[in-house]
Amino acid sequence: MTTSERDTELAAKLRGITGESSVLTRRSQLLTYTSDGLPTYRKWPALAVFPNTRNELIEVVRALALAKRTFVARGAGTGLSGGALAEGDAVVVGLNRLNRILSIDAENRLAVVEPGTVNAHLTRAANAHGLHYAPDPSSQTACTIGGNVAENAGGPHCLKYGVTLNHVAALTVILPEGELVTLGNADGEDAGYDLLGAFIGSEGCFGIAVDVTVRLTRNPEAIVTLLADFTTVEAAAQAVSAIIASGIVPAALEMMDNATIRAVEASIYAAGYPVDAAAVLLAEVDGLKAGLDVDVRVIEHLCVELGARTVRIAREEGERMRLWQGRKKAFGAMGRIAPDLIVQDAVVPRTRLPEILAKIGEIGRRHGIMICNVFHAGDGNLHPNIAYDARHAGVEERAHEAMREIMTVCISAGGTITGEHGVGLDKLDYMPLVFTPQTLDAMCQVRQVFDPERRSNPEKVVPVHSCREWYAVRGARA
Amino acid sequence: MILRSEQLAACTVTEVREEVRDARRRDEAIRIAGSATWMDAGRVVRAERLLSVSGLNGVIHYIPGDFTITVRAGTTLQHVAAMAAEERQWLALEPFGARSGTVGATIATGSYGPLAHAFGTPRDHVLGLRVVTGNGDLLTVGGRVVKNVAGFDLTRLFTGSWGTLGIITEATFRLRALPEVDESYALAVDNDPQVMDAQLRAISSASIAPYSVEMLNAALAQRLGVGTDTTILVRLGGNSESVRAQVKALSQLNTVGITSPEIWSSFRECEPEGATVIRFARRPSHLGGLWRSAVKRAAGALVHASVGRGVVRCIVNRDNDEQLTGERWWDPGSAIVERGADIPLHSSGPLAAVTCVRAGISRRIKDVFDPSNILNPGIMGDVG
Ligand SMILES: Cc1cc2nc3c(=O)[nH]c(=O)nc-3n(C[C@H](O)[C@H](O)[C@H](O)COP(=O)(O)OP(=O)(O)OC[C@H]3O[C@@H](n4cnc5c(N)ncnc54)[C@H](O)[C@@H]3O)c2cc1C
Repeated sequence: MTTSERDTELAAKLRGITGESSVLTRRSQLLTYTSDGLPTYRKWPALAVFPNTRNELIEVVRALALAKRTFVARGAGTGLSGGALAEGDAVVVGLNRLNRILSIDAENRLAVVEPGTVNAHLTRAANAHGLHYAPDPSSQTACTIGGNVAENAGGPHCLKYGVTLNHVAALTVILPEGELVTLGNADGEDAGYDLLGAFIGSEGCFGIAVDVTVRLTRNPEAIVTLLADFTTVEAAAQAVSAIIASGIVPAALEMMDNATIRAVEASIYAAGYPVDAAAVLLAEVDGLKAGLDVDVRVIEHLCVELGARTVRIAREEGERMRLWQGRKKAFGAMGRIAPDLIVQDAVVPRTRLPEILAKIGEIGRRHGIMICNVFHAGDGNLHPNIAYDARHAGVEERAHEAMREIMTVCISAGGTITGEHGVGLDKLDYMPLVFTPQTLDAMCQVRQVFDPERRSNPEKVVPVHSCREWYAVRGARA
Repeated sequence: MILRSEQLAACTVTEVREEVRDARRRDEAIRIAGSATWMDAGRVVRAERLLSVSGLNGVIHYIPGDFTITVRAGTTLQHVAAMAAEERQWLALEPFGARSGTVGATIATGSYGPLAHAFGTPRDHVLGLRVVTGNGDLLTVGGRVVKNVAGFDLTRLFTGSWGTLGIITEATFRLRALPEVDESYALAVDNDPQVMDAQLRAISSASIAPYSVEMLNAALAQRLGVGTDTTILVRLGGNSESVRAQVKALSQLNTVGITSPEIWSSFRECEPEGATVIRFARRPSHLGGLWRSAVKRAAGALVHASVGRGVVRCIVNRDNDEQLTGERWWDPGSAIVERGADIPLHSSGPLAAVTCVRAGISRRIKDVFDPSNILNPGIMGDVG
């Protein structure tokens, strides 16, 4: 059978499960699924299928197992590491139609959702009970809970509340070979190995989450947002360290540099950030009303002491939202400055922030490229982004070279290559810089426990050549 | 239970690796020990050798401004606590058991204490590990920074695996700042079911953000000297204005009395030698019922519950543990034997098929890291 005959046969089989209109095969239809939130890659899948119900999803995965086809789960496709891309023989399994909130147990602060449920929709539904879902990626109006689980997504408020790992009680997973398994336990404690913890952040390589039981968080009684502006990046970074060291755990502590501020202020998301500031800090405290103002005053005092020109304090919802809007839409705003954008993600120890930011600035100047920093400063989670125009000769190479240097600086400071966007395709080359061959091989083998034939999101996360056993077997056959 | 006690106290990672390789060659099993305060937790471990890692101790890396600390696995919890306290920081874990327990054992057993209410269990505190697997490989998993999604999360697999996948030699934790005020209060709870349930609901929805909320049965309350009958202990932390307001909110529920902060240390170490400890859990809204069933069955036991987490923990005399596990009265919740002889708690019913797949995954994971089954064999029962 030729490739196209196999695809035609598979498409027919899948249509039998999901109905005619839920399987896409034409290139014009597949175009949308050739990239994710990171525009630097484009990969063509063989076809795409969109199950409409849980049972259809299970049947689809079983049909793919029978046909021995590789597949890639896809939520909203907002991922920033090329994780949801499928190539060649691989089939995209789109989950966006599985978007029902199955139940909310307000008393126990739990909700069960389908994997395609949009993060912000869950929070909206929980709000009716005075609750919300705490992990809030900046893409929360689009990204899905399934995608969040796969990436162990974070967000501005993860500084205080923790990441996806800390907010999932249980999962039902369809394993690549078609078996269903429940990981975790929403009705009590979990016993045995922490398979739930292992699945979270597995980037679609261990199977597909069919439903997710999340923990909801009580809405805070009061929230205060502060905007402090600084004339040097270094002063802003020192203020971050000082706030963390004070013992206050802000709900969020975000930094934007001048390039980002100007991009935001020139866009429709203008938030009133001072465009001449070298950096602004967006800090938020929340929780019980009593005592919150004490924390606000401490943060204000520390910022002023470290050289903030002004500290704006927003208590009223409208103003707070405006301050946040600029931050949450910063990537979008950067997209306006130049046609191409590299979004980067790395983490460094918090005390190293001033030094690392200075080095990033220096790397940008040396390569003659513009780097915009907008990031979760409280966690030391950097997002140095490069806006460039690939039509100009040599610029793309310079941008990538600068990125490599930035990553090397972060790693040698004791940091890591990704804090929340995942490895996907984009960071495969960096993995051997942070993990030994033995550790990479162990990761390969754990993946094979869940996915023995490596059909679920193949060739992502761990470089194939790091997998001793797999490589030996395949190498011998070839 | 050591059959032939060939003991080795490893002081370096290389020694740990050599011991594992040697054991593997001779097909002999190793019983891993930290400070040996807890050992086999009453379970049957078939091992020819005893390997103590308590010699592998001390701090490797501590920069207070990063709020992370990296220590060797044999470092005791009290050592970590003392060092962090000098910088006005703490590891907000404080698990039940002796403070002379080691970091490695705490992570391996997934031990936690009353602070889990606000700060979670070891899986929420551990950022990275170094581990010697049953193959003798040295793995570095996770990292030293507070946020990290590079690669598959092996850190979570080793945490709570009771040493059956590898010997932890080093760990990095997230630390927190000590609060300005840290105070604890006791309030009496009514034993009448309806009144108790209403009180539990009132506490859960009160305007407080406690570090711990623990309900103690009369025996435990008396033992700790905080009450004569069922009592709730609440630990509050934060700035003084916030704590004052929280105390006020609490006193609207019932009369509250301040207790010594030392209460938590006595509480952590209240287990008599050789007791059986079993934890039962359900969704928190069912806590009242779960509590009453446990208290009724565990006559003479020390019983306490983490109110926000729906977990009831029973410390019972080893001769009496059958009264707690004779039937599956906790369904659909969970029962975990934390310490005690092999007590069968196998699940049955509609979930069994799904559980079977999961057991298969666990066994294959065990095969990846310890194919010859030489690390703590038997300690997790039928693995998974
Ligand atoms: C503007 C912008 C801002 C962002 N801000 C943040 C941020 O603050 N924090 C953050 O963490 N991320 C952020 N991201 C990245 C991205 O939104 C997150 O990684 C998100 O979790 C991806 O969700 P998704 O539904 O779009 O997943 P997709 O991109 O569709 O997929 C991502 C990965 O998840 C897998 N996957 C999807 N669904 C499932 C499932 N049900 N089961 C198993 N695997 C599955 C896919 O195979 C793929 O590997 C941002 C992205 C953008 C574009």
